[in-house]
Amino acid sequence: MIKDTWRFEPFSEEPIRLIDEEGRWVADFDLDLKDEELLELYRHLVRGRLLDERYQIILRQGKTSFVAPSAGHEAAQAGLAKAVRPGFDWLFPYYRDKTLLAAIGYPVELLYAQMLATRLDPNKGRQMPEHPGLKELNVFTVASPIASHVPPAVGAAISMKIQGTGQVVVTTFGDGATSEGDWHAALNFAGAQGAPIVFAAENNRYAISVNFEKQSGSPRIADKAHAYGFPGYHVDGMDVLASLYVAREAVERARQGLGPSLVEFLVYRYGPHSSADDDRVYRSREEVEFWRKKDPILRFERFLEKKGLWTPEEGEKIRETIKADLLAAEEKAEAAGPVPPEWMFDDLYSTPYWLLEEQRQILLAEL
Amino acid sequence: MATLNIVQAVKRALDEEMARDERVVVLGEDVGKRGGVFLATEGLYQKYGPDRVIDTPLAEAAIIGAAVGMATHGLRPVAEIQFADYVFPGFDQLVSQAAKLRYRSGGQFAAPMVVRMPSGGGVKGGHHHSQSPEAYFTHTAGLKVVVPSTPTDTLGLLKTAIRDDDPVVFMEPKRLYRAIKEEVPDEEFTIPLGQARVRREGKDITLIAYGGPTVEALQAADELAKAGVSAEVVDLRSLVPWDKETVLNSVAKTGRALVIAEAPRTASFASEVAATVMEELLDQLLAPVYRVTGFDTPYPYVPDRQYMPTVTRILNFAKKALDY
Repeated sequence: MIKDTWRFEPFSEEPIRLIDEEGRWVADFDLDLKDEELLELYRHLVRGRLLDERYQIILRQGKTSFVAPSAGHEAAQAGLAKAVRPGFDWLFPYYRDKTLLAAIGYPVELLYAQMLATRLDPNKGRQMPEHPGLKELNVFTVASPIASHVPPAVGAAISMKIQGTGQVVVTTFGDGATSEGDWHAALNFAGAQGAPIVFAAENNRYAISVNFEKQSGSPRIADKAHAYGFPGYHVDGMDVLASLYVAREAVERARQGLGPSLVEFLVYRYGPHSSADDDRVYRSREEVEFWRKKDPILRFERFLEKKGLWTPEEGEKIRETIKADLLAAEEKAEAAGPVPPEWMFDDLYSTPYWLLEEQRQILLAEL
Repeated sequence: MATLNIVQAVKRALDEEMARDERVVVLGEDVGKRGGVFLATEGLYQKYGPDRVIDTPLAEAAIIGAAVGMATHGLRPVAEIQFADYVFPGFDQLVSQAAKLRYRSGGQFAAPMVVRMPSGGGVKGGHHHSQSPEAYFTHTAGLKVVVPSTPTDTLGLLKTAIRDDDPVVFMEPKRLYRAIKEEVPDEEFTIPLGQARVRREGKDITLIAYGGPTVEALQAADELAKAGVSAEVVDLRSLVPWDKETVLNSVAKTGRALVIAEAPRTASFASEVAATVMEELLDQLLAPVYRVTGFDTPYPYVPDRQYMPTVTRILNFAKKALDY
């Protein structure tokens, strides 16, 4: 059945918001999520936040070398996660997506294994931390070069269209990615092909230190979709329900053959760009505090409280349960032991190559 | 036996592979109704339709990047870059995505795809239609690089490249597209990657070449024969993987070698072959291994032919090696 009416207007000046900062439902339609679904979303938010905090700890412990803080991005990511069919649809994520990945069921011990580069990492410790990927769940392994995963995401979506699989691609990226040539080339091609893809911009307003005003003359990322011939939605990405409902509509449009959408989630990263960054030199503490007050988790707690689904005590219980799960996952990942150096020569080509065998012997002689 | 030139061999390889495997798709600029600017995809759109012969926007990053995504999702894309000189906007997609996908994902994902590109000079195109940029790709772990020089090799190697599970950069020497015709077997065949071909046997000097200058190497061998020098000509055909064994066997026999290529000399694939021969056969060499290559300048519009290794240049270096 092709749906011919859609709930959300693209290209809105104000971001689409369904719950306000006091936690009140302000939408012009009825909420159709079950209580258990709302609580599941809450757990995704909390898990993402706690995972981010725990990554900072393993960084300080010297167990990992890099963290890309994601606190402040959780609502957009949890909403996206619930909009897709995990293991059926494909995700082309970027390096700040731990809430998204944990929420679609990427086993947390495998996320840790990637952070710690242990034998449990299906990516075999080949990449720096925060670069996971999992074939089993169609999570395309993260690459560092900004926006370089967006053209491949479009290719996968075109393949889905050609093969008529009914799948959808969701690709995420930060605001910085939207300046790259590859990003524009990819959106342009997706528009021409009507590919089943959702481009999800997690606009935290900074490309490391460069604020959005210096990145673009456009007031909104969503507006750029206009030029490529598909809708662009401007969403409060710290409102988990707005994120979910808009993402769901964009995914649904793609699945019904109506082509791509660009969804801009307005978020804020509380931490620096990465563990190698010092954000105090380019933004004030007052600004960070201003956004922290809009925190997606606090806002959703207020909402759940009004519905009688949350109390501070119950919230604490949920946090403790998740914390224990995360610790168990971390221990499991660590126990697998480090990736051995001689794995360096595997998985480059599908066929053996004498050159690599020669070089493997050079390495083995050093070990 | 049909007589084919190289561009016809490309077309036949694509047609046979598309008929054999419905996952094979072709994408690129003008590959559809136009059949490609060199007509390498002529007729395929009419035969296989717009879902399998995809006209793309003019954006190499989108073409190569989309091929990566198609490949990892289960298709077998063959992307056409109109000229090798235009691959650079797609360079990041080749280097950061295609080349590293299998490796960085620990073997979970792969990009079985081919990026075809007409390369090399001799067509009066100036530097933006004449370059031989293979060294960028041979320097990038994870890519395979193939450069055929005959219709038969083009057909057999392109079919193998399409079936290969890794990304293959397939560089077609465009000045030979219609310059060489030969009889090609009608029955289906493939040629494995990583095997050089001895094009002419000899015992005094080995001329190692690939792509366009294979022609000049063979002509130089004819000239040398007139002077009583027996030259062996080895066509590498595949640069990654490359066939060290055939090269070393030949040079061990002759004691002298030239490595001949159109690309500029500095940090070239010719340098890699020369260094390997000297490392492994030093005590059997009668002369240094000389690189006979394009010059370390951009490819000029004038002189178009003298930029590339000419027969005269090959003979000059051969004399140097023989007199050493």
